[in-house]
Amino acid sequence: MKKIQYYISAFLLMAVAAMSLSSCSEDKLGPTIFPDVDESLDPTSYTYQLDKFLKENYLDKYNLTFLYKMPDVSTNMNYNLVPATYENSIDLAVLCKYLWFDVYDKVAGEEFLKSYGPRIILLVGSPAYNPTSGTEIVGLAEGGIKVSLFKVNAMRINDFNMMNEYYFKTMHHEFAHILHQTKTYPNEFNTISIGHYDSNNWQDRSEGQVASLGFVTTYASSEFREDFAETIANYIVKTDEQWNRILDLASRGWASGDEDDVTSQFFCYYYYPNNDVTQDLVYVSEWNVFTEVDEDGTVHKYWRNNKDSEGNRIIVYDVEDKDGIDGVEAILQKVQIARTWLKEAWGVDLDELREEVQYRQTHYDINELRKLVTDIH
Amino acid sequence: MKKFLNISLLSLVALATLSLSSCKNEIDEIFDEDAVARLDKAKAEYIDILTSNGGKWQMQYYANSNEPGYVYLMTFRNDGSVTIAGKNEWIGYVEGESLKVPTYGSQTSLWEVVTDNGPVLSFNSFNKYFHLFADPEDIPSLSDEDTDETGYGHEGDYEFDLMKYSNDTLYISGKKYGIDMIMVRVDANVDDHVYMDEVVAMADSFFNAKIPQVYINLPNDTRWIVKNGASSILKMFREGADEISTAENHNVIITHDGLSFMHPITLDGYTIQNFIRQADGSLLCRDDNTTTITADDLNKVFTIRTFTWKGDTTQMGGEFADLFHGFKNELNDYGKRKLTSVQLSYDNTKECYAIAFGCLYQKRTFYPTYYLTAEFVNDNQIKFHYTGEFNDAATIYGEKCPSMVGIVELLNRAIFTLSTSSLLAPVDIKMSDSGNTGSYFMWRL
Repeated sequence: MKKIQYYISAFLLMAVAAMSLSSCSEDKLGPTIFPDVDESLDPTSYTYQLDKFLKENYLDKYNLTFLYKMPDVSTNMNYNLVPATYENSIDLAVLCKYLWFDVYDKVAGEEFLKSYGPRIILLVGSPAYNPTSGTEIVGLAEGGIKVSLFKVNAMRINDFNMMNEYYFKTMHHEFAHILHQTKTYPNEFNTISIGHYDSNNWQDRSEGQVASLGFVTTYASSEFREDFAETIANYIVKTDEQWNRILDLASRGWASGDEDDVTSQFFCYYYYPNNDVTQDLVYVSEWNVFTEVDEDGTVHKYWRNNKDSEGNRIIVYDVEDKDGIDGVEAILQKVQIARTWLKEAWGVDLDELREEVQYRQTHYDINELRKLVTDIH
Repeated sequence: MKKFLNISLLSLVALATLSLSSCKNEIDEIFDEDAVARLDKAKAEYIDILTSNGGKWQMQYYANSNEPGYVYLMTFRNDGSVTIAGKNEWIGYVEGESLKVPTYGSQTSLWEVVTDNGPVLSFNSFNKYFHLFADPEDIPSLSDEDTDETGYGHEGDYEFDLMKYSNDTLYISGKKYGIDMIMVRVDANVDDHVYMDEVVAMADSFFNAKIPQVYINLPNDTRWIVKNGASSILKMFREGADEISTAENHNVIITHDGLSFMHPITLDGYTIQNFIRQADGSLLCRDDNTTTITADDLNKVFTIRTFTWKGDTTQMGGEFADLFHGFKNELNDYGKRKLTSVQLSYDNTKECYAIAFGCLYQKRTFYPTYYLTAEFVNDNQIKFHYTGEFNDAATIYGEKCPSMVGIVELLNRAIFTLSTSSLLAPVDIKMSDSGNTGSYFMWRL
């Protein structure tokens, strides 16, 4: 009896509950709470040409929303940010297409970015400053779907190094994040420089010091994933001269007056005052060193600024590489892992990608690219 | 068992009640339309408000609570563009000018009304003359401390919740920092540059650095001293109170019509915020139509002992004009001398006022000087009394130029009514003979 009563109570309880649920389900549903997106563009709009370009080249083709009208709510409200200028938005929209999307279309096929490309690109006029660390964010990849490009208002379209550092590199850096957020890269990469990352003070390190440790940039030395993205991005966008410079820095020994102070300046050369090796050595920056090569190929390095008491030039010595790391080998290993991963996981040839980007970033005519927008009627 | 039944029944009743209350959806229908429809409607209404009648608005913009407000003139168009014009020192800085030079700038950028919790006016492409207040770049320090504002900038907003529209005024609130501001509709035919020039001219006419303090005159006849007016960060304290311990700073915006405090402020129970410039140059509170802001009584201003008033011999009439005309002729007859200046100032040694006439003779200027005391007749009237003292130059020039002596005698004889073009910045004072108003002389600070 007790058992039956239990079942009845339970049944009644369930019945009432079901009734209440079913009665609620009869509520009439109103219109969607999400705004209807009117995909038709207004030809009288001030931004019609750019909007049409973005629709045809990003939205229709890649299902990608290219946000150049910045809603502050789309960003981290902890940062003070400003929107991009309309003019620079046009430039970056056509450059993104030419140097990023068209490159992947050509190298990896048109389906690649349709499947794996970001769904949102957001342009932000200013950097996102971190006042406490003195750093700035110039790019951001979020959740495998959104890439934010910052500092758009500072663009100097004719300054190749600036464009390369802040925009072209950022595109590939953030896209590398998108890719590894989708398919993990081999853990082997993380082991190469383990123990040498410094997430708190990376910004105080010098490029030579980190190169010697096996990092392509100081930012790469902040953590594994940034190292991965930086390795790919720098390999793609750096010219041969710039890339070889990184490897050259990586091949040297570096030292500072105070090895324990990460903010101290690191040097790869030193000399003895008055050429007297009994005195304390003095570190010297490479800008103050000039090099002579003998007929037999022997290289001599001298301090540019002074001579000893007998009128001889001050001899400069290479700092011994004592970090125990083959920086060049480490960097090349990382590139190789990225190369293999891109090929095997994504079917993308990193060197072909680099070759295409290298050609394009040194051969584009911004005035011609702008016509992609301004010629729209 | 009975206990179990009771519990079960109670549970049934409770659940039934719960289910009834959860399903009673009629009470939710407060609005005729759902939230999305209402938001879209509000958005359309605000777009229409912003773009109608030529779409020209004056925004009274505050970046933060520690800086003055700045007027921007905005012309909204249906094609999504907005032309924003302003004239202030920060635009000057953007344009590479000195930070102290208000500079005009106008640029067209984009705007949109977006929906968030409500309609939001967003200036969503960068306008270098407007977004400068939201830009996180370091800004030049205005104080002695060289603070690095990188990452912060002015911390101004560029997105605004649209709160209310009434009487051609939009009430808005900064989206991120929450500062309340207003936008006032402006005639579409207004020329942006002329308008902004007039705003800056208005600012210049209000607070002149030469006038050290002005007064808020409350209806109960108490006065609050206002200092630092030229900075638009007003330092205010009750007259007679201790400045150091009681003064408060209030930032204001100077508009095309007058002056407004950023927030309403209450002094002696009187709440004030908006002031309109009057024809006499004073400011009248629009909120109570009684409170004014003026400089001190003109006779007090005129007798401030640190001031040196310069006579304007091109602005005089009646007996003054006759006497000065005669004086100049007499100087010319006296070896082609020329009158170069007339100055009135306080002589700390003699402890009285001195009127000095600059007389040029062969590259050398002589200053025959007479000494006077001043008596206040009423708020705007003054009477001078010649002490009988004069300097050596006056001895010589007095013999050759009787009209000069006549001017001193006129000063000694008449009661003068003082007037000015601006009661707030009385840097020019017209001194008229009370018994013969056609006889006047103009002094400039």
